[in-house]
Parts: sequence; structure tokens; C-alpha cells
Amino acid sequence: MGYLNLTKKGVAIVLSAQLLLATQAVTMAQAEMLGTDAAISKYAAHADRGFLLNELQRDDVQAAIVAQGVDPAEAAQRLAALSDAEVASIVMQIEDGSAGADIIGTLFTVFIILLVTDILCFTRIFNFTRCVR
Amino acid sequence: MLYAYLQLYPLRSLNGPIRRVAGLLVLGWLAACAPPFDPDTRLGVDVPTRAAVAGVPLIKQDAFYCGPTSIAMVMQWAGRAVTQQDVAALAFSPGAEGTYLADMIGSSRRLGHLAVQVSTFDQLLSEIAAGHPVIVFQNLGLGIAPVWHYGVVTGYDFGRDEVYLNSGQMDQMVMPFALFERTWRRGDFWGLLVLPPDELPVRVAQTDVLSAAAALERVGQVRAAEMLYETGAARWPDNWLWPFGLGNARYAQGDLRGARRALRRARAIDPTIPEVRANLAHVERELAG
Repeated sequence: MGYLNLTKKGVAIVLSAQLLLATQAVTMAQAEMLGTDAAISKYAAHADRGFLLNELQRDDVQAAIVAQGVDPAEAAQRLAALSDAEVASIVMQIEDGSAGADIIGTLFTVFIILLVTDILCFTRIFNFTRCVR
Repeated sequence: MLYAYLQLYPLRSLNGPIRRVAGLLVLGWLAACAPPFDPDTRLGVDVPTRAAVAGVPLIKQDAFYCGPTSIAMVMQWAGRAVTQQDVAALAFSPGAEGTYLADMIGSSRRLGHLAVQVSTFDQLLSEIAAGHPVIVFQNLGLGIAPVWHYGVVTGYDFGRDEVYLNSGQMDQMVMPFALFERTWRRGDFWGLLVLPPDELPVRVAQTDVLSAAAALERVGQVRAAEMLYETGAARWPDNWLWPFGLGNARYAQGDLRGARRALRRARAIDPTIPEVRANLAHVERELAG
């Protein structure tokens, strides 16, 4: 009888210890706060979906940015500031060469064309042209 | 600067281009008959007949720096002492002799500002009317001879058929609506609103503003993110994501009690969200222990 009582007590102790550990483990599991970013993409409609780059692809983009004369550490920081869709837009722009610069570098062959198109209100390159309306 | 190229080509090589130009001229006259921009049919919203944003400084850009210069102009308008060189260090790509669109967004965020894209005349003109300058990406040249450029739209006037830009290259640039539309269309109607975090855009989807706030957190601008979440929570009081973000941004700065207040507000808006409950429990545990 006494022996049985002891085991009952033992089982109870083991079980409650286990329960305590289990709840402890659950609370330990969330050692960090859940991020706002993740919550937004889960609960709010997100245009960026479909653009998911993996680590390797991001490395490729970083190499491409470094090839544009940007310091590697700075390139990494620039990428960190962007969503995947925005990173993808850089790749597109590197390919089609459409970074915003300015009129410096326009070749003479197109100079005349642009002069005329300026006057015709198609383009706006030169500050001395007046657009004919 | 352009005149320098005049000496590079002997005169007889002009025959070809001139003939092509003559052809373009005829085509051009035909196309130039396109009707002027009509706000009644082109806009889905009501905006004033004319509007101007005061206090956007004109900065003369260094070579190829139209992107950084545009951001510097907008940030100085907002009262920040940011130079085009400061921005260029975060955005300019020397090899491309220019600035990529995404780097315009990224550098604005890294300088602690809200950066969201706009892409329609409705948005552009509404923001100008609300007193917000808008950066636009334009191809001032043609598709075959692109001249990529960033400028800051500071005003418009339907009556005079004019759009006003601070362009970095000249003083103020004035364009008829039709011409502005052509140059902007060639830039895929890409526009960027860069605002201090206590100022909200008037015609940008709430989700885009939320994402921009989360992006500020991502680049470590937690103070700016906190301010933006606060501003957003006041404007959209029904959305728990704002106080949720606010709680997280305050937590990231070690403000546990502030985080608890914000997360409780989020829970009051929607008690069913597991993320809110989990983070609130987390903060309360840290406060207790």
C-alpha cells in the first residue's frame, strides 16, 4: 500500500515536472519578437509577391553592383535596404543601361535629332529650345 | 557642354542625319497635333487648377548626379541638411554613370525618410496639391536615344498648360503637360515620394506606406519607423498592423512599456491575431522578469 502510494506520488511529480518543462519549452521557443515585415506580408496584400530571391541570387546581384564601381560593403548595405522586387529592378536596369544621369554624354549624331524633337515638344534636352505648341 | 561634340564629326557626315531628321520632322508635325492634356478626362480625382510646393531648393547638380540631387532637394525641403554628395555615397553607381531606381528608394530609407512609389497622374497631382514634391524618372530623349533624368515636380497649372520641375541641370524647368507626359511615359511613369516620417502621402495605398515603414525598420532607422507607425496609427485607427509595428519599433529601442502600450492597442483592435498576442506576451514576460 505504502509502496503504491509512493509510486503514485512519483508519477505525479514526474508528470508535473514534464508539464512544467513543456510549457517552459513553448515559451522558450519564442525567444524573439515576431517581425512587422512578416506580419505585413501575411496579413496585407503585397505587390512584391512572386519576387523571391535566394541568398545566392542576391550574391549575384551584389557582384553586379560591385562591377558598377560600388564598394562591396556599400553594395551589401544597399541590397539590405531593398525588397526582392526592388533588387530585381536593379538587375533589369543594369541590363538595359537606364540609370538616371543627364544630358552629359549625348552624342552629336542624336544632337540634331533631339534638337528638332525638342522643338516639336517630343523631348526636352536643351534649355535654349522653345517648344512649339 | 554639348557644343564640344560639334567638332567631333566632319560636316559631310551630316547628310544622312539631315535626311532622317527631315523624315522625323514630317512625322513630328503629324504627331504634334495630339490634343493637349485634358484634366477632366485624364484624371480620376479632383485636384485644384493650379498648385505649387513652396520651399524646394534649386541645387545645381554635379555631373551625372541628377538622382542624388533630386533626393537632396526634397530632403532639404523637409528641413534636413543633406547634400547631393551624402546621397550619392548611398545611391550612385559610378560604372553606370547614374543612379538606379531601387537605389533612389534605398538611399532615402537609409537617410530615415518614408519612400513610396507613385505611378499615375492622379497620384502625382494630388501629392503636389497636398504640398508634397514628387521625384520623377524621365527619358528626356527618345526611345532610340535615351537621356535618362530625375527631376522634382514642384507644381503645375492646367490654365497655362505647364508642369514645373526642379531639374538639377537648369534652374526651373517648365514643360507643357503633353511633353511632360511623353518624357514621364518613357520613364515608365516612375515617381517617388520622399517624405519625413511624420508626414503621410495623400494618395498612396495604405499597404505601400506600411511596407515603407517596415523597410525603415529593416535598414535600422527604428526611430523614423516608430514615428511613421505612430503617424499611420492616427490616420488609419482600424488597422492593428500600425500599433503592432509601433510596438515592435519601440521594443527594438528598448522601450518595453511603450511597446506594451502599443501592442495592447493592437490587441484591442483585433484580439484574434496570434502575432500580436505572442509579442505582447513576450514583452510582458520581459517586464515581469
